[in-house]
Amino acid sequence: MVRFIIIRLLQCIVAFFGILIITFLLLRVSGDPAALLASPNFSPEQVQAIRVELGLDKSWGEQLGIYLNQVAHGNLGESLLQKKPVITKIGDALPNTLKLMVPSFVLAMILAFILGVLAATYRDSWWDNIVKFLAVLGQALPGFWVAIMAVLIFSVQLQWLPVAGMDTPANYILPVSTIVFFTMPGMMRLVRSTMLDVLDSEYIKMARIKGLPERTVIWKHALRNALISPLTIIGMLLPGVVTGAVITEQIFNWPGMGRLLVEATFARDFPVVQAVVIITAILVLGINLLIDISYAWVDPQIRFQRT
Amino acid sequence: MLSTLPTAKTKTKKQYRGVTRVTRVIQKLAFWVPLIIMIAMIILAIFANFIAPHDPNLPKITDRYTPPVFMEGGKSEYLLGTDQIGRDILSRLIYGARVSLSVSLLVILITAAIGTMLGIAAGYSGGRADAIIMRVVDMALSFPGLLLAMLLAVAIGPGFTTVVLALSILGWAGYARMIRGEALRISQSDFVAQARVNGASGWRIMTRHIFPNIINSLIVLMTLQVGMMILAEAGLSYLGLGITVPTPSWGAMVSDGRANLDNAWWISLFPGVCIGLVVLSGNFLGDWIRDKLDPRLRQL
Repeated sequence: MVRFIIIRLLQCIVAFFGILIITFLLLRVSGDPAALLASPNFSPEQVQAIRVELGLDKSWGEQLGIYLNQVAHGNLGESLLQKKPVITKIGDALPNTLKLMVPSFVLAMILAFILGVLAATYRDSWWDNIVKFLAVLGQALPGFWVAIMAVLIFSVQLQWLPVAGMDTPANYILPVSTIVFFTMPGMMRLVRSTMLDVLDSEYIKMARIKGLPERTVIWKHALRNALISPLTIIGMLLPGVVTGAVITEQIFNWPGMGRLLVEATFARDFPVVQAVVIITAILVLGINLLIDISYAWVDPQIRFQRT
Repeated sequence: MLSTLPTAKTKTKKQYRGVTRVTRVIQKLAFWVPLIIMIAMIILAIFANFIAPHDPNLPKITDRYTPPVFMEGGKSEYLLGTDQIGRDILSRLIYGARVSLSVSLLVILITAAIGTMLGIAAGYSGGRADAIIMRVVDMALSFPGLLLAMLLAVAIGPGFTTVVLALSILGWAGYARMIRGEALRISQSDFVAQARVNGASGWRIMTRHIFPNIINSLIVLMTLQVGMMILAEAGLSYLGLGITVPTPSWGAMVSDGRANLDNAWWISLFPGVCIGLVVLSGNFLGDWIRDKLDPRLRQL
């Protein structure tokens, strides 16, 4: 098990540097920030001066080397537009995003597992139909549209909830609901279908024939075997949640990483975009690592095969 | 006591019969309604220029903010009203179907093909190939798709190609990861061991033994993706990174109406309803396909 974890950790580090380099190159391909920073009446010499000042005149290889060196020393650079260390911007934005994302994601997953298992257990009951209806609706309606409609109903028409800001608990209701709304259904559907597959298997029949109580059959024998594919999906959900968070933060004017990313990308503020990607990559890779470890823990076959 | 037993039995039997009849009707509706909606959307998308009552991009300032026909002040020539510069919303929705359907279809075909091939290869062969493919998958999965779309939008400009590229470059990884899990599981089964003992080549095992066993998961995943891709395209257009003017797209239309929520909610409402309807239809058809393909599940 230790060997498995060490190998996966090393692989994560390689993947992380891969992401770092690709982001760096993609951003350089996408445009020249010096031309964007300079006002239109700047002479070519002045633009060149900006380039030299920012280190953009060096070759990409050199820039990449300098950049990797900085990152290795924990220095994420300075925002091109505001002359502020990127780390302070991230420091402001990241907690706000986490405050929104963690409760939303945890809530969504708990609801998804409970509802999914119940729906599979009581297949074709009214209960199953409600879950199916919720899942179907949640997967069909775009999160941004639902959020806007929620704003229309609860903020504009009824004036119950605030549109933007994050000062009071009431501010959390609409954004959290939005994220739960588009995160939960896919998971719920998958838990349900995996559970159905598992419940049809021979070992579940065997467990029932043995006379085990139905509760043990469902929550121990079946759920444990049904955990594997939903667990892999949690990792797959994360970037979607990040993307969703960007849109959610835009709609509710939430001062988090998502809004920072959108603003920085449109302004071609390289260091900020890179930093956002690095932090996101670390979070997502780290969570994926945990998932892989739990995957190996749930199914010992994988532990021995993968390493 | 004995006499009550038969009555109780007949009653349950009757109830059971009633339930199946209702379920059967619902099942039929759950197939036909989405199918009709889907076909209708495809027809609208293909023949948009014949069906749309107005030019989707022609502004008419005097008619702006016209509410839908069923509301006070609505005009019969604009069934679903007009937007902030007086363009007919219905016509824009009809043209918008083109964007949604073509983007999602193309992306699904590209990503499913790549993802399945790599997923089976990784799951079956294991070892180094598996490790390398899965690290690339990890990278693709942990890269926020939106960022890539933004980068592409800045680099090559927003548009059809950008959206298809942005969704495809990362989209295959989801298939690969899921299919790999399935392939790994199937690789350990007795029939694969048997095939190997019989001297079947790796290619033969992957195409003849593993692939048929993952088709159902693949199809369910692909049909789920129809909706997800339409939603992703809408999300990109909503942020202004996808299909842009003059082509109308549903996501961008929702965004257009955002500033006018208090006086012209219909601008945002209808495109969202359209997205919902198409995605809903796709998902229902997917469920139906799954039930047909996997009779095991229907027996339960």
